[in-house]
Amino acid sequence: MNRVMILARLTMMENARKQVFHVVTLLTLTVVCASTLLSVFTLGVQVKILKDLCMTSILFCGGVLAVALASTAIPSETESRTCYPILARSVRRSEFVLGKYLGTLGTIYLGLLFIAGAFTVLLLSRQAFDVAMIVATGYVFLEVAVVAAIAVALSTCTTPAVAAMVSFLLYVAGMVKMAYFEPMIDGVHNPAAKALVVGFYHLLPNLESFNFKDALVHNVAVPAGYLAQVAIYGVCYASLVIVLASSVFARKEL
Amino acid sequence: MMQDTQPAVQTSGLSKVYKSGKLGKVAVDSLDLCVNCGEVFGFLGPNGAGKTSTIKMLLGFIRPTCGESYLLGRTASDPDSRRDIGYLPEQPYFHKFMTPREVVSTHAALAGVARRVRKSHVDEIIEMVGLTELARRPVSKMSKGQVQRVGIAQALVGDPKLLILDEPASGLDPIGRYQMRDLILKQRAAGRTVFLSSHLLSEIETVCDRVAVLSHGKLVAIGAPGEIKRDDEHLAVTTGAISLEVEARLVGVDAGLRILEGETVITIAPHLIYDLIDILRQFDLPIVSVIPERESLEQAFLRLAA
Repeated sequence: MNRVMILARLTMMENARKQVFHVVTLLTLTVVCASTLLSVFTLGVQVKILKDLCMTSILFCGGVLAVALASTAIPSETESRTCYPILARSVRRSEFVLGKYLGTLGTIYLGLLFIAGAFTVLLLSRQAFDVAMIVATGYVFLEVAVVAAIAVALSTCTTPAVAAMVSFLLYVAGMVKMAYFEPMIDGVHNPAAKALVVGFYHLLPNLESFNFKDALVHNVAVPAGYLAQVAIYGVCYASLVIVLASSVFARKEL
Repeated sequence: MMQDTQPAVQTSGLSKVYKSGKLGKVAVDSLDLCVNCGEVFGFLGPNGAGKTSTIKMLLGFIRPTCGESYLLGRTASDPDSRRDIGYLPEQPYFHKFMTPREVVSTHAALAGVARRVRKSHVDEIIEMVGLTELARRPVSKMSKGQVQRVGIAQALVGDPKLLILDEPASGLDPIGRYQMRDLILKQRAAGRTVFLSSHLLSEIETVCDRVAVLSHGKLVAIGAPGEIKRDDEHLAVTTGAISLEVEARLVGVDAGLRILEGETVITIAPHLIYDLIDILRQFDLPIVSVIPERESLEQAFLRLAA
């Protein structure tokens, strides 16, 4: 585990220097801070819009960073050959993948924490802080973990550009899975095509389930059991994808 | 340091075929190697001979198509076999934002060097490779030779029993090469095994106890540098330009010919020198010089790799 943490720290140091991290984080931070200009609305509406806008921004920032950083984390090491001296030590490929993944998550979480911090300050300044905001943000973190895991897994078997593109498409598809894919299954009558769509439906992560933005905005209480179920789903999904990524990377010729 | 009886590096029927077309490209062909503990072993071969593929298989970067390889008695596919190994890749690359101290410290941590001794260990290695003054400069601002030293430093962390060095003198100036040679000899004196892949045959000849020559993926020679080279001494006799008739006569006495502009160098076994003198006298050709020659490692390499 020590080696994993060393690699994660190294990855964080590397990612924190990437332009995409600075640009996306600063852009989102600007949007969150600019939402203070919503003074044209009455306080109740203003807070709702603020929560909506800020949660959407955090969600967007997390998704973009997860795709951009995770899809390049391992290929950047293999292409630049910086992984050679590392893997020539008694570092297992699975440790390498896990270290890169955790380091990437650490970097994204660092950026998201800044944004969430600014969001909290805004809510506190309007005496509208709600503990549910922390919970909702926590689930965004979990969603990011799932998306990053997918991007890391794809990057072990394809080019970074393809991995980024496919993981972004899966991210979008996962966000609208319930709304669009469920009706689609009912509409397909060919058994083979139906099996394909159903298979894809089940493999696709249900990212919508991590989104508690509406519950936060409209002050709807979410049952603790459902929250636990979603958390277990997220952790299991991300873990399985990382195991798969490790297995693919272990077979990869460097 | 080394009391181990098992070889430091051992391969048995190690082969690698890369997918390329229907037949594939054979990079390494049934390689049998045995590198003893405590020796400096030179691994030679022209570009594309399969040296890097062999090293990559030893380090688990690529899987062999067939055959087995062992590092310090453990199968090379087991990551734990690399616990006591230091590796310097050909053209080492490091994260450009890191300083040599950070690189070496990170590798010391990965090699399991205890935190309480890590700083002194890192300082010692940085000093050993002559990077003390540059220890806090980012790798991005260093020259190729300086980065090479960083690579050597990271290979030395954790007091490895086996050092695998791929072109260690690459990018180094003559002083750096001298220091590298000195460093390799010090490693041998400390009982470490050094597996050295290099194109610099003079370096190999100076420091290696044994060498292996690889050509087209096959092992064509293995042994001490003196054993690889041809034992037979011959004489190089320089004379003037020769006619076709003389050439035919010389070939008849088993002489080798190097025809240069205005002169000819004839190589011949010492016991045939009087036959040669008779021919030269017959055609009134001068003897400019007679030099005894032994095959150098470079000549042996060219002969074996051809």
